[in-house]
Amino acid sequence: MKIDTKTFRFTDTGSFGSKAMIVGVIGLLASAAGYLVNSEQFFHSYLTAFVFWVTLGLGALFFTLIHHLVDAEWSVVLRRVMESTMVTLPLLIVFFVPIAFGMHDLFEWTHVDVVAGDTLLQGKAPYLNTTFFLARTAGYFLIWYLLTRALYTRSIKQDTSNEKGQTIRMRQISAPGMVLFGFTLTYAAFDWLMSLNPHWYSTIFGVYIFVGALLSSLGFITLILLFLRGKGVLADKVTVEHYHDLGKLIFAFTIFWAYIGFSQYFLIWYGNIPEETIFYHTRWAGSWKYVSMLIILGHFIFPFLMLLTRAAKRSLKVLAFMGFWMLFIHWVDMYWVILPSMGAHGANAHHGFSLSWMDLSTMLGIGGIFVWLFWKRFTSQPVVPVNDPKLEASFHFVNG
Amino acid sequence: MSTAAAKKETIPLDAPLVLGNPSFSDLSETIGGITEKKAPVQWFLLVGFFASLALLFAGSVGYLFWEGVGIWGLNVPVAWGWAIVNFVWWVGIGHAGTLISAILFLFRQRWRTAINRFAEAMTIFAVICALLFPMIHVGRVWVVYWTLPFPNQMMMWPNFRSPLLWDVFAVSTYFTVSLLFWYVGMIPDLATLRDRATTKVRKVMLGIFSLGWRGSNKQWKHYERAYLILAALATPLVLSVHSVVSFDFAVSQLPGWHTTIFPPYFVAGAIFSGFAMVMTLAIVARKIYKLENIITINHLDVMNKIMLATSLMVGYAYSCEFFVAWYSGNEFEQFAFINRATGPYAWAYWIMITCNVFIPQFLWSQRIRRSIPFMFVITIFINIGMWFERFVIVVSSLANDFLPSSWAYYTPSMWDVMTYIGTFGVFFTLFLLFLRFLPMVAISEVKGVLPAANPHYRGPVSSGGQS
Repeated sequence: MKIDTKTFRFTDTGSFGSKAMIVGVIGLLASAAGYLVNSEQFFHSYLTAFVFWVTLGLGALFFTLIHHLVDAEWSVVLRRVMESTMVTLPLLIVFFVPIAFGMHDLFEWTHVDVVAGDTLLQGKAPYLNTTFFLARTAGYFLIWYLLTRALYTRSIKQDTSNEKGQTIRMRQISAPGMVLFGFTLTYAAFDWLMSLNPHWYSTIFGVYIFVGALLSSLGFITLILLFLRGKGVLADKVTVEHYHDLGKLIFAFTIFWAYIGFSQYFLIWYGNIPEETIFYHTRWAGSWKYVSMLIILGHFIFPFLMLLTRAAKRSLKVLAFMGFWMLFIHWVDMYWVILPSMGAHGANAHHGFSLSWMDLSTMLGIGGIFVWLFWKRFTSQPVVPVNDPKLEASFHFVNG
Repeated sequence: MSTAAAKKETIPLDAPLVLGNPSFSDLSETIGGITEKKAPVQWFLLVGFFASLALLFAGSVGYLFWEGVGIWGLNVPVAWGWAIVNFVWWVGIGHAGTLISAILFLFRQRWRTAINRFAEAMTIFAVICALLFPMIHVGRVWVVYWTLPFPNQMMMWPNFRSPLLWDVFAVSTYFTVSLLFWYVGMIPDLATLRDRATTKVRKVMLGIFSLGWRGSNKQWKHYERAYLILAALATPLVLSVHSVVSFDFAVSQLPGWHTTIFPPYFVAGAIFSGFAMVMTLAIVARKIYKLENIITINHLDVMNKIMLATSLMVGYAYSCEFFVAWYSGNEFEQFAFINRATGPYAWAYWIMITCNVFIPQFLWSQRIRRSIPFMFVITIFINIGMWFERFVIVVSSLANDFLPSSWAYYTPSMWDVMTYIGTFGVFFTLFLLFLRFLPMVAISEVKGVLPAANPHYRGPVSSGGQS
């Protein structure tokens, strides 16, 4: 793996991409076998993996949007990594196809007999019905496609044309883009996750998923940069100052995640209305209790303490570990949201959680392909936006 | 910049933060001079006017203490009326200061230096106005100290499970930290004024409050460390205060109050209204005191963008609440929201939506973001809209609760109105005193963002600034 230090283009992309693809294909094949063994387990594991990678891409989209909106300087050098991640997001629509076929296993509200005996679900039918559900998903991906493409093509164009105007243009796209991002993420979270428990509702749910998405993408970006650094790519350009800022963001949004998670839990606990408490009740029954505790500890207390000091945020070893940790705990979080609703009338909730090999195979399957596509995209262009007017300042950025 | 260029080109990516290329002493003269010269005649007129409004507050509250909260328009079930609306409104306004001085500081937004002092002062005065309302609302105001947990021979403790008690902690903590932050930030400027002082009284007073500041490297090092730590401590407070205020409503089971998005939604709304009030005041003050080169049109443009962003967040929360109320399938939830939009208080609901969601959309246009008259009018609308937001939440949910036989239309009494207007008197009197006696812009911080503060500075240049 090598880049030209003048043009910042890859001269040798290494075998990382093809390795990722092989892992992805093996994972997908194994998962397909899993479908034949236990389709219900397969679909739930698969949805978890799908949502994990989609939210990771959405987090990168948010990072790109906010980077343009606030005219950030320090993160210019990371821009290509986030852009390549976000532009991979719309391709994940391919992985939605199995979910469309597995809706019967996943979503209780698709069962005609259940809806017929449930006045609440009848009331929700104008929203929760298969046609509209699929149309909405198509709509989310279409918006993500148009938005990421609009930003990415301009960014690439700036590399060759050296137009300062593209920076302004990308900022102008980002403003309405942020509005679209907020609404699509929220309703995707309502559709794919909240409607798994069709009686349950929480207005903050979209924000909760958003914070997890951002944290996972921060972890991913940190890991990719550290991986490149290990290979000698951008090692002198992305300095400890940039990692320090990434660490600060992970730290800050860990607290923000806890704030949002606590708000949701606390208000439901205090209000104590059965149709709301059911969500937490099932996640505190049997061995699910340990998963809930792991989330409290692992999504807040542990990263909070780990990243509290300045020295930790500037230690690449700590950040490498925390990058993996944020990905892991985001997966646990998605697992915790999705899996308890498996089985008729949430049977899984009462039996406690039981990990399946398909949890791993689906993650590796979608993840391998995601990383492969990301890598192909990333290596096809200069690793930094070479003509960004703030690139030079970003190289020499120092925390005050 | 010609107007034609302004129309086409957005703000240059590296616009200078301070216009007119002033020197360090120019800044001390411009800002410090305001507190030293005789106040303009308009200042005396305004103080006279607002101090009499403050008297109106004193009179209304005096009668309230004599007679009891029965003089207000409260009824059952609307036991929380204007007093709580005003409390939440004022606390919300008190959010911009700490956001600007703490969060924007951590985000390295150096443009904040022009407005932070100003906004922090506004925060403190707004929180004072806010705190007045729950105090006078308790009825027996002479035992208001019972809200504090202190060991006493009556073995009496406040109810720790009550969000009203958490309010006492949250708001008083916020007030304390904001005051400390404001004061610590002001020490170097007070020392500047002390060094410029010509009268004995000013020398002694400013000498006491500048705590022996000499501006040595060592002092600056400690000072900046303290400022950073205070910023880090104040940041969670920006979110926690209004979250706790939202708990007052959201921990209940009342439709329209009990919804999980309330904490972040209230915080976004607070920042929204806080920025609107900062803008309203800053637009007037920069004109009267000729600070156009320090609080530039670029600053106002950026603040308008933040208002637009927070308006969209508030709009997001409104729409989320409305959608989930329908989606919940709960007929009481559904009624609460349809009743808001079409029921007896629909006029208030639509004022809120118009002022908070529709009108701020004008700020998408750069020309409007850079037009003083337009933005002034928009900030006024937002101030009004955010008051109505709290009115809609408090009154419409309470008035039409689970028991239709007790539904009655809520109307405030003249005492409600006079008390509210009176707090404007308190707020503006304090604010005018601040403008008169303290440096309204952080002199030392603005000096820090001048080109001359850059070690690589090579003398005055015709245009451009530092990165």
